[in-house]
Amino acid sequence: MDSTVNPTLAHRDDAEIDEVDLTPVRTYWQMVRRRFLQNRLAVVAFILLAVMIALAIIVPTVTGDAYQKTSLLNPNGSPTTTAPLGYDDIGENTFLRLMKALQTSLFIGFAAVSIIFVVGVSIGSIAGYFGGWIDNVLMRLVDVVLSLPSLFLIIMLVAFFGTGNAWVIIFAIGLTSWTTAARLVRAAFLSLREADFVQAARALGAGRFRIITRHMLPSALAPILVACTLGVADSVVTEAALSFLGFGISPPEASLGNMMTNAINFMVRQPMLIIYPGVTLILIVLAASFLGDGLRDALDPRQRVEG
Amino acid sequence: MSGHVRVKDLRAGALKEGANLLSVQDLRTYFPTQDGVVKAVDGVSFEIEAGRTLGIVGESGCGKSITALSIMRLLEKPGRIVAGSISLDGFDLVKAEESEMRQIRGNDISMIFQEPMTSLNPVYTCGDQIAEAVSLHEGKGHRSAWEHAVKMLHDVGIPDPARRATQYPHELSGGMRQRVMIAMALSTDPALLIADEPTTALDVTIQAQILELMKGLREQNKMAIMLITHDLGVIAEMAHEVVVMYAGKVVERSDVNTIFDHPHHPYTRGLLSSIPRLGEKRKRLEVIKGVVPNPLNLPKGCLFQRRCPYAMPICSTPPPFQEVAPGQVSLCWLTPDFKPPAVGADAPAQIAEEAAAALSVAK
Repeated sequence: MDSTVNPTLAHRDDAEIDEVDLTPVRTYWQMVRRRFLQNRLAVVAFILLAVMIALAIIVPTVTGDAYQKTSLLNPNGSPTTTAPLGYDDIGENTFLRLMKALQTSLFIGFAAVSIIFVVGVSIGSIAGYFGGWIDNVLMRLVDVVLSLPSLFLIIMLVAFFGTGNAWVIIFAIGLTSWTTAARLVRAAFLSLREADFVQAARALGAGRFRIITRHMLPSALAPILVACTLGVADSVVTEAALSFLGFGISPPEASLGNMMTNAINFMVRQPMLIIYPGVTLILIVLAASFLGDGLRDALDPRQRVEG
Repeated sequence: MSGHVRVKDLRAGALKEGANLLSVQDLRTYFPTQDGVVKAVDGVSFEIEAGRTLGIVGESGCGKSITALSIMRLLEKPGRIVAGSISLDGFDLVKAEESEMRQIRGNDISMIFQEPMTSLNPVYTCGDQIAEAVSLHEGKGHRSAWEHAVKMLHDVGIPDPARRATQYPHELSGGMRQRVMIAMALSTDPALLIADEPTTALDVTIQAQILELMKGLREQNKMAIMLITHDLGVIAEMAHEVVVMYAGKVVERSDVNTIFDHPHHPYTRGLLSSIPRLGEKRKRLEVIKGVVPNPLNLPKGCLFQRRCPYAMPICSTPPPFQEVAPGQVSLCWLTPDFKPPAVGADAPAQIAEEAAAALSVAK
């Protein structure tokens, strides 16, 4: 092919190629990590979330059901080495309760988001890929779910299937909150469906399932990921609200919501009892959002690594 | 895959050079819209022999790409093939099941798209995408598919293919990406390659390289190429036979030398005279006046009559396909020496139709 090329130019081409070849090869995940690490806020959020998850797993496992132990000799007791956050009104170890509550909340948050992810992505991708009447039917279903007041619906479901059961709460949140994910995926798919590379995949003989899962979903993943991390935050808040209203996890089990409900009676004398779970809730929500933002930027292969 | 014998398996034996690999007969692809039926492809016929290149020329919107997509059966709604047959070595693609089409696509027929910048999936490496094509059809494992992908990248002239395979499309230049597209299309060793304006998005240097590459691979793999373009230079370089399309119809068909030396249809003549030539005395470049007619409001009779310098009253009657020279057919009333037909310019439509029947109707 290069036989007709002017020899001096050919020589220069070689030199340029060599020069280009000096750029180090980076795999996709190396680039993702690099881009993610450049986002300081996301790194802080990631570390924070990791620490919270670690604490939520380790502390309750090690201490067992010590968080339920009341000590009437020590109501509203001051912090000690075994109870760094002091004791609550019935002498329960606040730190242990907080860790257990963290575990409950994070578990409910991630489990609910798994449902949101599976249902939302399935319905959104089917609607967006096939379009036509399928899209119409599914999107009207989304409208119906959206038109229902979700907290009210969740309370109804929880009241009907039994309060205090984490799984009921997870399903209730999951079944009412998948609509945003579904709409995002559908919107992404509507434009991706017309993309040249999807047409090219069809021309290669790829089947529908393969095109949806391999060729379209990865490009739609960024908005889904953000929706999901926000979904974790939302679910944690919803669980807290449910527990606060008495429909969620009830004592002696611990959740951020029921800790706050209890603490509300002592808000003036013992403000820290409501501040601990409140701040924890805020930290979860913030960390999840910042992590979502960071991941979205890092996972996008079109973004270049700076510096 | 009952009924479908893979062309690839046959090629070594039954399908000799010179046999028709693809035969399109009276293909009609219509798009019913709210304002009426758009006849994007309206009675197109042509054949491609194994190992040869057919060029399809025409301006934007004449139905070139829709013809290609019809062959691939990749038409977007509401487009539909309403009549005609597309025979790939005797297997009618119009009647094929979708599952059979999936086996044929990318395997027996590959397609290169116009836009190399957007036809590669941004989230996979080039090697992954080629390897996918291979493993879809050849049933190879990931490792051997990847090795095949690297070899294909080498074959299309990409330096350092092992490293390029690990790169993402955005890391490559336009010419490189088009090479990757070609590597992908050729990785399954197809019998027919449909190239829809493969070089339109590229600069001339890269264009020349890509054409040279396609030529080499055609010889090497004995594959047929259907080359869609509006660039007559590319046609002159690549094609053996040429089909000129206008508003969904074939207006002239012949071998490549005849088209350039003795074009018959006024549209073909207009296309050729609107190419600037080196070394010619400076004068105003001739152009074909007017635009392609609105597909919803086509003129009666000859579709080119409103822009045709030879237009005469008889043109309001649909012209016949006449063989103006051996192997050259033209959809025009003009006699081979550009005289109005003997039936007379003011002959009533009835006489004109008889004349059409009398003229040798080439198929």
